[in-house]
Amino acid sequence: MALTGRLGLLAALGALVPIFLPSWWALAALWAALAAAVAADLALAGNVRALRFHRSGDARVRLGETASVTLIVENLGRRRVKARLRDVWPPSAAATPRATRVDVPAGERRRVEMTLAPTRRGDRAAVTVVVRSAGPLGLAARQLSRPAPWTVRVLPAFPSRRHLPAKLAKLRELTGNHVALIRGQGTEFDSLREYVDGDDVRSIDWRATARRADVVVRTWRPERDRRIYLVLDTGRTSAGRVGDIPRLDCSMDAAMLLGALASRAGDRVDLLAYDRRVRARVEGASRTDLLPSMVHAMAPLEPELIESDAAGMVSALMSRVRQRCLVVLLTELNTAAIEEGLLPLLPRLTARHLVMIAAVSDPRVGEMAAGRGDLAAVYDAAAAERARGERRRLTAELRSYGVEVVDAPPAEIAPALADAYLALKAAGRL
Amino acid sequence: MIQSPPQGGADGSGSPAPPGPTAGQVASRRFRSARGIVLVLLALVAIAVILAALRPSVTPQDLDPTSPTEGGSRALAEILKQNGTRLDVARRAGDAAGLASPGSVTVVTRPERLTDGDIDRLRGAQGDLLLVQPNRSVLRELAPGVHRAGTSFERTADLDCALPAARLAGPVAFGGAETYATSGGDGVVTCYRADDYSRLVQVRDGSRTVTVLGSPEPLTNAHLTEEGNAALGMNLAGARSSVVWLIPDLPEAGAGGDATLSDLLPFGVKLFVLEVLVAVALVALWRARRLGPVVAEALPVVVRSAETVEGRARLYRAHHARGRAADALRAGARERLVPLLGLPRSTAQDFAFAQEIVTGVAHRTSYDEAVVGTALYGPEPADDAQLLALTDILDVLERQVRQS
Repeated sequence: MALTGRLGLLAALGALVPIFLPSWWALAALWAALAAAVAADLALAGNVRALRFHRSGDARVRLGETASVTLIVENLGRRRVKARLRDVWPPSAAATPRATRVDVPAGERRRVEMTLAPTRRGDRAAVTVVVRSAGPLGLAARQLSRPAPWTVRVLPAFPSRRHLPAKLAKLRELTGNHVALIRGQGTEFDSLREYVDGDDVRSIDWRATARRADVVVRTWRPERDRRIYLVLDTGRTSAGRVGDIPRLDCSMDAAMLLGALASRAGDRVDLLAYDRRVRARVEGASRTDLLPSMVHAMAPLEPELIESDAAGMVSALMSRVRQRCLVVLLTELNTAAIEEGLLPLLPRLTARHLVMIAAVSDPRVGEMAAGRGDLAAVYDAAAAERARGERRRLTAELRSYGVEVVDAPPAEIAPALADAYLALKAAGRL
Repeated sequence: MIQSPPQGGADGSGSPAPPGPTAGQVASRRFRSARGIVLVLLALVAIAVILAALRPSVTPQDLDPTSPTEGGSRALAEILKQNGTRLDVARRAGDAAGLASPGSVTVVTRPERLTDGDIDRLRGAQGDLLLVQPNRSVLRELAPGVHRAGTSFERTADLDCALPAARLAGPVAFGGAETYATSGGDGVVTCYRADDYSRLVQVRDGSRTVTVLGSPEPLTNAHLTEEGNAALGMNLAGARSSVVWLIPDLPEAGAGGDATLSDLLPFGVKLFVLEVLVAVALVALWRARRLGPVVAEALPVVVRSAETVEGRARLYRAHHARGRAADALRAGARERLVPLLGLPRSTAQDFAFAQEIVTGVAHRTSYDEAVVGTALYGPEPADDAQLLALTDILDVLERQVRQS
């Protein structure tokens, strides 16, 4: 039940009654009249309990795009329901309209279109639907809140999608797919074929040529069916914002580009998100299914404000993966976290796998290092130089363990990681 | 990494901060902004002081036997005293009743200030009464049989009765005066008639004589000398051996009765207030009922990634860590110089290659080895100016090596 402003106004106007008729009886009569009007209004208002809610529409949306969710209001009662309706969503779902009017005749259905423009990644669940149906006098209303469950998963934006065609072209160049006469630059033997004018004479297979009348060349292709394990660090260092984006989101973007590229190159890609326990895992996804499952697994991830457990991460990895693979660890080059956590475990990891560490650097540090002019700027520059020096030292140390390090600002991390992968592939190191 | 609100100061630390204002500048700026208010307050205080100083300590009252103003009655009081009549001034009805004796006349002025209790006390008092322009309740209680009839605006009235005091006075200038009707009876004397009603009435009320005067003007300083005013006043007030002049003070607040505010409010007003309260409660209920709940949501932490670097810069600055700052700047510069010289990167922080690096840089720049050596490996800067100079020379070296 809900009262309306009209009732308050009537009661205020009723205050004139005792001025002209100063008696308890007049006032009691006024109250009785108001109470009777409220009771009549409640009795005659549309029955909100007879309403049923159904939903349809988008269940997932990329961050930055809008989703539309339809709420269907069905009236099972015998009277028409005219009501105000609010479909309640969390604030970051940015659902519009906030409230709307519905007019559902008995036994019919009406649609309410909601538009969601989520501002953050993750799952956004509808909280409840509230209807308020006022009576014919507009003095009182029946109100009911009833859940109508629906969840919209807000997926990471994947802004580095635009780099994918260029990287795929580079990949095709490696495989030699698009120009027949260029010898594939891979290291894995593909097939034998007849020599064509223009082929590199170094690739003539003399033994096969001897067996046949024709000159035969070997063709090469990059290695295929290698395993790539993407590891997302969701610990405290991933919460830091570079620009206005958490480091975790930049890492996700890079992981998605690498995943898309590697699956097209014929490699198997797995994903693990870890801080002190497994937050998400994608394993054994098929080539076509990989990107959607990665995006789904990553959507609800949030940075946890705890120190990552490097030992747990390494054992979680080692227990799952038997064959040699490329482990891409997306983390931050934080001296304390890496030196105390990861470095002692690296020999175990590098003995079995090829390890690549991708870290998002902060352009703000570069700006500070270039600052000159007054004393504050110079101290800023000194602190930034020191941070960069530590980062360089850490990178050198990691490289001494045979680890590949990709350290790039947020705008370049995804293509830089893809390039590093392509370089490894071309060199046949996978 | 600590979660903290973004700070404006941290963002601006890269750009040159404006020099802070001195305490004097701050004070003068605050004074300028508050000047108008201060001046207005001072002016108000000054006006209040002047008004308080100009205000007389005692307000002169009409018909006050101690007041020498035009409306006062000091002249009459002095004349009465000179003639040997005793004059007591009472400011309260109770005092007047106590002072009154069988041989006295009580002059009752300003009757509008008398409460019902005061009138009762006066009725119980001894001696004669002279009521000056009484109101209805005083007239009803103290002068039975006399009723207010109307008002006369004739300046003077001629003698038309046999009252001794009137006879001695002759014509009297009343100015505007109230006129009275009497219900007749024994011992009723009416004087100075206008349109069948009289301005001066004398009645017997038991043992006392009650005289009702329709105008205060004959008794005031301004009009005492006109016509027979002085004689009338003297003979009415001074008819007995002593005079009690009652000029009541304003009744004290709350002294008039024990009625509370709710007793004085009409019943309808109380019901009105009740109904307004009901209306307010209904409006509150209307506004309190939300269309749906408030939705709480966990928000992500906001930590800037460069926060630790900025914090370190502020620590350096706060502790004037010139040595550490210079070391970091030199290490950074060497790191960028070494590849330009064609040396491996690992030599940058290796002191064994110091001489080689210095020679290489000096060879490609306009500076000699001593200057380059001091710049790249020198001691800690002695003051802030030297630190700034160090960054300048490092920048110059780097630029020259790059361009060579």
